[in-house]
Amino acid sequence: MKKEKKAVNSKALKTVIEPNGKNLQYWKDIWRYRSLAFNLAKRDITVRYKQTVIGLGWSIISPVINMLLMTFIFGNMAKMESDGSAPYSIMVYAGLIPWTLFSKNFTISSGTFLTSAALMKKVYFPRIITPAGASLAAMVDSAISYAILLIIILISYFTTGFVPSWRIIFVPFFSLLPVMLGFFTGLFLSPFNIRYRDLNQAIPFLIQIGQYVTPVGYSFAVACAAVPEKIRFVYSLNPVAGAINAVRWCIIPDNAFHLPSFLATVVCILIFIPLGIKSFRKGERTFVDLV
Amino acid sequence: MENTVVKKDRPVILKVEHVGKKYVIKNKIELPSNATRRQKLRYKVKSFEKNDFWALKDISFEVREGDRLAIVGRNGAGKSTLLKLISRITEPTEGRIEYYGKIAAMLEVGTGFNQELTGRENVYLNGAILGMSKEEIDARFDGIVEFSEIGKFIDTPVKRYSSGMMVRLAFAVASTMDPDILIVDEVLSVGDMKFREKCLRRMNEIATSGKTILCVSHVMNIVRGLCDRAIVLEQGKMVYDGEVEKAIKLYNGINEDIRVTHREFADLPRPKWYTGEQLRMLSLDVLDNQNCIFRWNEPIRFNLHIRSKETFENLGLRVIFACDNGAAAGTAFCEIKGPVQAGEERDICVCVEKHNLAPGDYKIKLEMVENLPYDCFNRLDSITPEALFITVGAMELDDAQDKLSDNRSMWVASWGTSRIPDAHAELQARQ
Repeated sequence: MKKEKKAVNSKALKTVIEPNGKNLQYWKDIWRYRSLAFNLAKRDITVRYKQTVIGLGWSIISPVINMLLMTFIFGNMAKMESDGSAPYSIMVYAGLIPWTLFSKNFTISSGTFLTSAALMKKVYFPRIITPAGASLAAMVDSAISYAILLIIILISYFTTGFVPSWRIIFVPFFSLLPVMLGFFTGLFLSPFNIRYRDLNQAIPFLIQIGQYVTPVGYSFAVACAAVPEKIRFVYSLNPVAGAINAVRWCIIPDNAFHLPSFLATVVCILIFIPLGIKSFRKGERTFVDLV
Repeated sequence: MENTVVKKDRPVILKVEHVGKKYVIKNKIELPSNATRRQKLRYKVKSFEKNDFWALKDISFEVREGDRLAIVGRNGAGKSTLLKLISRITEPTEGRIEYYGKIAAMLEVGTGFNQELTGRENVYLNGAILGMSKEEIDARFDGIVEFSEIGKFIDTPVKRYSSGMMVRLAFAVASTMDPDILIVDEVLSVGDMKFREKCLRRMNEIATSGKTILCVSHVMNIVRGLCDRAIVLEQGKMVYDGEVEKAIKLYNGINEDIRVTHREFADLPRPKWYTGEQLRMLSLDVLDNQNCIFRWNEPIRFNLHIRSKETFENLGLRVIFACDNGAAAGTAFCEIKGPVQAGEERDICVCVEKHNLAPGDYKIKLEMVENLPYDCFNRLDSITPEALFITVGAMELDDAQDKLSDNRSMWVASWGTSRIPDAHAELQARQ
């Protein structure tokens, strides 16, 4: 009885396929296929740690080592100043997590047509599901990193007496900034990645450069002081820096909220959400014929 | 007849209207030999010109609920492209497709399987890819495991499976889908014999359950067994829409170049041992038939033209029937009476009276031998690539002269390639 009812329901669903068709169906489909995104995320996470000895430990080790390195290079060797009262390691780590969120999401969504071509060529689902799934997996990694951050904060409370700001409760919310920024700018580039594989080579390279241009290993204030005054304002409009600043502002009590960079981030996201989706939708229609 | 009337009442579930798909292909431009420097320079930048290629053009048809439609055509006729359009993998260039409900494609087996994941994890992942929810897969999980015969290996990573196990699991997942329209694209040629039969049985179950099916296959027996309607595509255009048998005949007709009644053997490759010193088969003519399509158990008669350089007393001919896939279905032996003199050219009239071959396509191979005492023989000539293509049509009631009351005009591929003469069976009282 129940099944019959369902059958009737599903048959009422009408699908129209037309060239360059705008179908609202697409958005309904995304909802219908949401479990696929979770399944893909689950796959990404399980596969990554299969047959490894420390398993999940790897998603702890790599950011921690990265953090230690940057703290040593920028904090101890170059003797750069930290953000207010925060220990250098916490400042670096609080920047590293949003940066990783940005870079991973950017890589995922810009390369999605290439990495999941085999699947996309065989079966229909709203194509945005695959980058969304991978992005979810990246967020789980970051959640683990944030847990480590809490432990580091706890340790430094006992050693240096550092107390994080109460604004720390906003961290999950502000962490969405680098996610959305990376995801939608990546989506915008994704169709170009099919035609011009040069992008595929250039993106890891650009991300590597970006990590040094953006205040990840050092504080925003130090960076601004070092940049010539003429271009300081332009430099401060780096949208990724805005996202990092926002997360740091949540954690470090005497960090002043930097409004211009934050606005740059928000505006950039607002521009790239429609632009990215439009570009991606255009690419997904015909990419099967091109890959 | 009645059947078709009932069908008209069923609602249209899929409507394809004037659909076309264009691809842009690049062709290399030929640089003229006396090209100017400027032309050469330009050539370095752009040595290709773009051409339009219509993989499909102006395709229109309707599918009613419960139709089992086969899409038949040669390689490159556009079958797969059409299925891709319907299953939304790529977009049409023109036209419109409209359908109600859920469409799911039975994939090329193993798509979306991840080698690192266990069988169980892959079932859930693959199910999700095919558009099933977790609850739906939960409900079917035991059935999937049972059907695939994976048993205790379900929690082993798929990379440690044998290829047969993977294929079985993938088919098991795919065949539990319950869409409104099911697309089957050449997936049934998987696994070992036993499992293939199981797959076919499952497909037949689905087919008879009233589900709407779109099917692409080169194996005409599968088409016969599964579908009740067929369209024929030829170079991107639809040339026929209607009964399966007619479509298959038409499809076979498209292959006219190989299905000829006269064949010269001069250019055909011969086996290594063949020298041509003793005897040579020259050509073949089919008698009493224009298109090499035979009704079931219709005698196959042909004239074989030979030239002998030696005198032979006991010649023998082997007529080997091979299936589509090259496997032999059976062999008929003929003894050729009377001597053949040296230097003579002769015609041999061969008639394979009652071949019992099941409906399907066959290649005929010929082997000429000299029969020696004590069951020995000496091979003289052999046409191992097919000497002739023939098609055996479905059994029609008047063809089968024995008492066939029910509809046994169909033939299922899993029944084999020959119909063994009917056996005797009698009801008896129990002791």
